[in-house]
Amino acid sequence: MMNLSRNIERVPFRSIEKQLVASYCNSSPQTQTKQEEFRALNIRNVKDPFQTRRRLQKTAVFPPRADQMPVDQDWGSVWPGPRSFHPATVPLPVRQGFTEKGAPPPNKFNNAELMKIPNFLHLTPPVIKRQCEALKKFCTPWPKALDNEDKIQKNFPIEVISSDYCYSSPTIRDPMARIITVKFKLASLKLDDRARDKFLRLVGPRYNEENDTVTIVTDRCPLKKQNYDYAMYLVTALFHESKKVEPWEEMKSEADMEIYCWENNASKKNIEALFGCKSEEIPNAAEYSEAVSHYMNEGENDYTISKYGEAVKKLLKLQGTN
Amino acid sequence: MFKTTADLLIKSHPLRVVQGRFFAAAVAEPKSEDRLQSFRTFEADPSKHNTNHQSQFYKVDSTDKKVLFQYGGLPKSFQIQAKTFNETCLMVRDPSIQIINHLKTIDYTQPPIKFVLYGKKGCGKTLTLAHIMHYAYKNDFLIVHVPWVGNWMRRCKDTSNSETKPGFIDLNIDAAAWLVHFKTQNANILENPELKTTIDIQWNKRECTPIGSSLLELIDQGINRIRFASNCVNYLAEEVKKLSQSGLCRTLLAIDGFNAFFYPNTRVFTEKKEMVPPSRVTLTEGFLNLTKFDWKNSVIVVTVDEIAIAEKDQISHYPRYLLGKSGFEHLDPFLPVEVKDYSEKEHQSIMDYYRERKWIHSYPGQNDELYFLSGGNPFRLMNLCNAL
Repeated sequence: MMNLSRNIERVPFRSIEKQLVASYCNSSPQTQTKQEEFRALNIRNVKDPFQTRRRLQKTAVFPPRADQMPVDQDWGSVWPGPRSFHPATVPLPVRQGFTEKGAPPPNKFNNAELMKIPNFLHLTPPVIKRQCEALKKFCTPWPKALDNEDKIQKNFPIEVISSDYCYSSPTIRDPMARIITVKFKLASLKLDDRARDKFLRLVGPRYNEENDTVTIVTDRCPLKKQNYDYAMYLVTALFHESKKVEPWEEMKSEADMEIYCWENNASKKNIEALFGCKSEEIPNAAEYSEAVSHYMNEGENDYTISKYGEAVKKLLKLQGTN
Repeated sequence: MFKTTADLLIKSHPLRVVQGRFFAAAVAEPKSEDRLQSFRTFEADPSKHNTNHQSQFYKVDSTDKKVLFQYGGLPKSFQIQAKTFNETCLMVRDPSIQIINHLKTIDYTQPPIKFVLYGKKGCGKTLTLAHIMHYAYKNDFLIVHVPWVGNWMRRCKDTSNSETKPGFIDLNIDAAAWLVHFKTQNANILENPELKTTIDIQWNKRECTPIGSSLLELIDQGINRIRFASNCVNYLAEEVKKLSQSGLCRTLLAIDGFNAFFYPNTRVFTEKKEMVPPSRVTLTEGFLNLTKFDWKNSVIVVTVDEIAIAEKDQISHYPRYLLGKSGFEHLDPFLPVEVKDYSEKEHQSIMDYYRERKWIHSYPGQNDELYFLSGGNPFRLMNLCNAL
């Protein structure tokens, strides 16, 4: 454009040239748009051309299977194994979950609460019966002589528990199958008081005071056999170790005693000095000694202290109150 | 004029309850005369107290009080109240009757019987002991009374190393004060010329108390020569034992806060600021000697108290805990006597007594309310009533 105008200045008849220039300037943009549209950079994405969204193809939802189940169907084959709850498979109108006051609990569909809790739908009584029947051919009959618990306890004092797992993975060896649990009653070892005390100290929390049972669980070896051998070794070692008296055990003094024993305490010496004779000769000494041991071992409370007071009264031959 | 303003005040007072309370007090006045018989007994001699007098108040004669409790033996708050009430009244309670009955019947030719009073804080152990001491005083016992062992172990006045026993600590002023206390309590009995020392006591090169001098001389020696006071207490304990053994006197040993002798921590310090265990305090020896079985013609009443030990260890009020193993073995066999909280009847009685002394204004339901608030604890009740 500038070049053109300079050229025109050189030309003498200016008016014609001006018209020409005007006509050129006006005509030139029109001719350009027609040829090719200038593409502007649309940063903000303002005038987005309308796009048609692709429609999601919905798969058809079948009605729940539970609706078509016959009443006399074989439930064991519908729900054969442990599985989390499925609303369409369970034909029960179960409800679970929290709602606002007055509203019923949510129903079984889309209910996470029902899926969270464990269910035992695979263990219905007929199914258990059927499985037991199936297992029966692998079992041997129970010995008839062992008809009560005492006899079992006497003849088989030790109880070994292990589990075999059916496992559907590339290997059939389940790591949990190696664990061995050995249980036995402490009384069946027939230990004396000292050995029993030592045994209890050795086994620690593995002893259950309520049913007098020692439980030893071994799982450190890779095989079941090895763990069993180890458990048996432990039982043997514990037994012999608790029977052994180490030289340092003889040094146990009164302060180390775990229970108060009246016989070897100052209380006995006190009353012997008081009466000037042996404790066996003192009347009511037995009751007194029992009261003192009770008082010391059971801890102080109104009951033990009043028992102690009564025993002292009898020992010293004090008259009753009032 | 005054009357009208009072009327106005009452009429305009928004809290009608308050005036109701005052009126109730005024109305209840004549009624208290009827109740007088039930909460007060005129039997001032503790040896005649029995279960019929239970939860009744008796007045301790002021001369007796002066002799027995001039240098301690009653709790301070009780003493203040006694001063306010212008009389010292003790309630006849179950534990003291029990022990007094035993004291009447026991065989004094046998080794002493040990009574251990125990109970929660503020239940009246010290006052029970005071009642028993009053009985002993009336029956001419020689009273060996330690008002509060905690004063020695936790609030001692001064200390010095023992000269006779290396490693031991003397509490000079406390020991001398106790000797004064002992002398006042037993002034009558000590006049008896038969009470003589049985051994020569060599205090130092020059001073000695020869055999056959009276107990009073021994005590005066301790009081005047304060450095010997602790040793004097121990000698005195030994002498008292021998005299009782020979039947010249009958002894009541009353120790309040006995468990302080066995609590391992004290506030007695040596010059190097090392803590002294009670077993290294000279005074302990004498009183532990007295609580042994090897004498007769005597009876031992001690109290075990939580307050006598450090606050962090005040867990249980039972004697085995407070005495510890060694203390229990030292006293065993003893007769534990519990001092309990007020029963309903005792509570009723003390409330009537407070009302009679014009200490509190009564209003309906007051007894139940205060029994509930105090939980039956005498000390707590006293504190509650201070504000009423």
